Amino acid sequence: MMRRTILITAVMFPGLHAGAAEPGFAVDVRPILSDACYNCHGPDAAARKAKLRLDDRVSAMRSGILADGQLLERLTSDDPEVRMPPPDSNRVLKPGDRAKLVAWVKGGAQWPEDDRHWAFVPPAAPDHPPVRKGKWPVNGIDRFVLAKLEQEGLQPSVHADKATLLRRVTLDLTGLAPTTGELDAFLGDDSPGAYERAVDRLLASPRYGEHMALDWMEASRYADTDGYQNDRLRYMWVWRDWLVRALNDNMPFDRFVTEQMAGDLLPDRNFFTQVATGFNRNHRINSEGGSIPDEWIVEYVADRVETMGTMFLGLTLGCARCHDHKYDPVGQKDFYRMFAFFNNVDEAGLGPNNGNSPPFIKVPKSWPELSEEESKYVVPEPMKIRTVQTSVPRPQAGSPDTVMVMHEKERPRDTYLLVRGQYDQPDKSEKLKPAIPPVLGQWQQKWPRNRLGLAKWLMHPRHPLTSRVTINRIWQHYFGTGLVKTSENFGLQGQMPSHPGLLDWLALEFIRTGWDVKKMHRLIVTSATYRQASNGSAALQRRDPENRLLARGPRKRLSPYAIRDTALFTSGLLVEKIGGPSVKPYMPPGIWSSISNARYKQDKGEKLYRRSMYTYWRRTLPPPTMMTFNAAAREICIVRNDKTITPLQALTMMNNITFVEAARFLAERVLKVDGLSKAERIERAFRMVISRRPDRVEMKQLLEDLEFYRQDFSKRPGQAAQLLAVGEKKADANLLPVELASFTMVANTILNLDEAMTQD
Amino acid sequence: MNPANEFLTRQTRRAFLGKSTMGLGSVALGTLLNAGGKDLTGAGLSPGLPHFAPRAKRVIYLFQSGGPSQMDLYDYKPHLAAKFGEEVPESIYPAERKTTMTSGQKSFPLAPSTFKFARHGKSGTLLSDAMPHLAGMIDEVCVIKSMYTEAINHDPGAMLFQTGSVIPGRPSMGSWVSYGLGSENADLPAFVALTSNGTGKGGQPLYDRLWGSGFLPGRFQGVKFRGQGNPILDLYNPAGVSRAQRRRMLDAVGKINGAQAGRFNDPAIATRIAQYELAFRMQMSVPDLIDFSNEPRSVLDLYGPEATKVGKYAYNCLLARRLAERGVRFIQLYHRGWDAHGNAPKQVAAQCRDTDQPTAALLRDLKQRGMLDDTLVIWGGEFGRTVYCQGKLTKQSYGRDHHPNCFTYWMAGGGVRGGMSYGKTDDYSVNVVENPVHVHDLQATILNQLGIAHERLTYRYQGRYFRLTDVHGRVVHDLLA
Repeated sequence: MMRRTILITAVMFPGLHAGAAEPGFAVDVRPILSDACYNCHGPDAAARKAKLRLDDRVSAMRSGILADGQLLERLTSDDPEVRMPPPDSNRVLKPGDRAKLVAWVKGGAQWPEDDRHWAFVPPAAPDHPPVRKGKWPVNGIDRFVLAKLEQEGLQPSVHADKATLLRRVTLDLTGLAPTTGELDAFLGDDSPGAYERAVDRLLASPRYGEHMALDWMEASRYADTDGYQNDRLRYMWVWRDWLVRALNDNMPFDRFVTEQMAGDLLPDRNFFTQVATGFNRNHRINSEGGSIPDEWIVEYVADRVETMGTMFLGLTLGCARCHDHKYDPVGQKDFYRMFAFFNNVDEAGLGPNNGNSPPFIKVPKSWPELSEEESKYVVPEPMKIRTVQTSVPRPQAGSPDTVMVMHEKERPRDTYLLVRGQYDQPDKSEKLKPAIPPVLGQWQQKWPRNRLGLAKWLMHPRHPLTSRVTINRIWQHYFGTGLVKTSENFGLQGQMPSHPGLLDWLALEFIRTGWDVKKMHRLIVTSATYRQASNGSAALQRRDPENRLLARGPRKRLSPYAIRDTALFTSGLLVEKIGGPSVKPYMPPGIWSSISNARYKQDKGEKLYRRSMYTYWRRTLPPPTMMTFNAAAREICIVRNDKTITPLQALTMMNNITFVEAARFLAERVLKVDGLSKAERIERAFRMVISRRPDRVEMKQLLEDLEFYRQDFSKRPGQAAQLLAVGEKKADANLLPVELASFTMVANTILNLDEAMTQD
Repeated sequence: MNPANEFLTRQTRRAFLGKSTMGLGSVALGTLLNAGGKDLTGAGLSPGLPHFAPRAKRVIYLFQSGGPSQMDLYDYKPHLAAKFGEEVPESIYPAERKTTMTSGQKSFPLAPSTFKFARHGKSGTLLSDAMPHLAGMIDEVCVIKSMYTEAINHDPGAMLFQTGSVIPGRPSMGSWVSYGLGSENADLPAFVALTSNGTGKGGQPLYDRLWGSGFLPGRFQGVKFRGQGNPILDLYNPAGVSRAQRRRMLDAVGKINGAQAGRFNDPAIATRIAQYELAFRMQMSVPDLIDFSNEPRSVLDLYGPEATKVGKYAYNCLLARRLAERGVRFIQLYHRGWDAHGNAPKQVAAQCRDTDQPTAALLRDLKQRGMLDDTLVIWGGEFGRTVYCQGKLTKQSYGRDHHPNCFTYWMAGGGVRGGMSYGKTDDYSVNVVENPVHVHDLQATILNQLGIAHERLTYRYQGRYFRLTDVHGRVVHDLLA
């Protein structure tokens, strides 16, 4: 049985295994061909040079150049006229890659008959590979990881200590650090299953849905404004409420996707499934006077196709909007056939200039607790276009108590291929019907040719991509990097999975469990792989800086949202209230008015301290605190953010009003406990933020600092008063200002430690 | 140092950096470089860059947001005076090229400019009387009358100029340059954005994405200097916190983080330590940067009465020079208010009152410091304006709608040919008839002056090699000295 497994994976992923001497076509050769050659010798017929295709087996074989020495000469010649790729192509073939191609050609240019790209072949059940260290694995994940480590001659790391682990999993599942009470309870519980119980507690917390919603919101380009020019207002928070609830209710993922793609077309449709379709209305909408409506409808529809491509297919479908895809077998016609699925919405090209753009539905005041009557499906009022300013055609505007939804036109718009993607250049020789790219599977006759059918196709158990792409993003959530690093691109130019068997096994588990999302989260966080310590040796760090082999646990910086939320939470300022309209916390003066015609009106009171997922998102001027920490701008679908470290981040953490106020309240919190020594107060604050106690050196440092600040502020009490006045929430008058100010500086120090922004 | 010599020095410096480690706390510089700390070293570290010896070390781009009217400023069309109020011929201006702001108009009457034109400088370059100060520097200026774009609306128009694409998510030109060439100043960002509001009405909004880094790492994004509050967001310590306290706090953070770096072998920690130090150096250096008290009266007078008013165009021009002196690579100004749909003569005049003197002063100031040779200054907006009138036409007043087919840009310094006019438009200033220059051509030319081959500065994202000029652009060699 085990032997068979090895054979199967070896065929599917030759070359991924140690000791594979000969270059395997799919893994070693085609990625190089794709990167270096397909721009001129790939799927795009219009760009093809010398009528040569190197993406198509039959065509390549027929050309003869693989065997007759021509390709070899093109690869090895020193003559710039002959050598490929030519200098003016701006394609670089690295020496190692060139050598691989040469070896492949010399070895007879083996090109297997079934040469389908791995991601276009539905996952096949891999058996667990054999491992020697049989006791280490906790669940299926670990066997794949361990097998790879053993191949590489590596050992897994030891388990992370309990406090680190609880911090890691609490931040990963809820976006907040564990409380000291939760830490104490967990550290004191040595009974079997203590960790699993903690995980279950976190999965059941409503914070889970709020935290997990963020990845989806960034990918779905959720925002509170339209995103172009004057960036007018819209009201979509009801969709965000739907999202949080669906996640907290653990709605099966197939239903979750189907409601968002086609909640208006379901046989059992209702108000909630209708709200879910707001997913496809989250794209930007242009309201600029003078815009040509037809041009912008094309933009919206294309955005839906591209978003679906990135989120469910892991494909850069947008490349095929203007020409055949340069690398993947997706033609320009395929793009417009997908386009046809989304081209039937009763929508306007120009936005209404503030307010929701049709189709929208009215949200009952009782949202989200609707009566039976209110829960029924509603027919949106038809679009009414009125001409303003001489000739600007605008639709009616949806008021703040509406939400945008999908709604089909009675007669679908005709779809044609648009030459160079231009709205005014339809190729009218052929009307295109909704269809999927043939390379991605077969359409079943029983499926309706609309978004509902599309959802059925996406969620079909034999679909090659949806499950893999989704589980990969879930993996990325925990490990910082997906099993496929390019989580937005599973195509030919994407990276190969680090653990192909694991990816497929997880993808099939996901389907087998009935698309049970929480179960998959649980599977990952209870694995031994996840529970490893993250402080690998220097040698391991050098060997595997990105931790692709998973010989250590994940160490990563918190998300921008979690950084702010955790500061508010540990200081006791966080106001936990689920859902509702977005809020406007602190912003620098003139943040909007300095460069636009809008004015930011900051909220007061508890709205200053809500979780960051509720912060008002103006697309053209997104919240700087979030953007400084690399949040997605929410203009287009983004599923992977970079995590560069910049000086602006340091300035934010040190000086931003939110973090200074949080430091003050963290200080207040530990000062208000009776009968503690200074060291004990510092230890408390430290532990609340970092989930561990400071060591001796750290404590000595912070105590000395405290004394320094105390003396300094004693000499200048006015400065202490100034510091305590930062932020709208008043300081406790019973505390001595100098003492509170000096503790505030120590708290500010703690919040600025690398560990405060990191989960180890 | 002249740019060619600098090119050589940099090669040497790179070789030096490759071998040595410098003390930076307890952290080896090599670690920092591996962790992506390239903007700390002051060297341009993208492999192979610059591609050839540059003519310019830095760029100051004076973006005139809203779309200045070419026929009221540079593109003189004397014969139109006799055609006042006549319909613009359909053969010249087809219906489908009009925006929906005016496409519903029943009439498209020609609106000749109310401004007077004259020749200036040794070059005899034509300018309208709205820009008397620029006239005095015109021999430094290379006027391009044949710019064109595809965009007819502000947002896509500005995006195309700033990022090479109307699709969001692409890096801005300044980000590309900072990615390619790095910073020359260890205490300031390589790419700075400055904004000001015009007195002309109809200010078009600006967007963070105009100076965003798109898919490039976040450290290449433009840092916006602000007109109120902190000059850079959260730059200054909170009220009550002294510099000594901040230093104390940073030392503690550095020490504790340093110990953490030893425990975790994670280079990200070393990078964070270094970026905190850079933040502190920014805190120290920016006050000096924006302290104009050491500028002589003569210089302040050159820029005009608004030179010391924070957030004004004149202030930003002077600040641009000071940033340029300190080695900031790409300085992007925006001045809003050129969108003259209504009373264009009044609005254009008002915009020129904001900008003409400071713009000319910047050129003169750079020149007298010997910096104009290696500083490329660019002036222009997202598109031009229509020759036909939007709204009501009178002898004194007319409105002008957006016009993408032809408009004027200019460049000065940085190895371009001063005192020349390039390209021609037809008798109506509707279409280019000679030497068209597309947005991507301008971008290719700008990069070229910085020693960058625009086709070779690429970044792989989503499996594709992106570049500023997409798949277009050619260097306009005719413009170069």
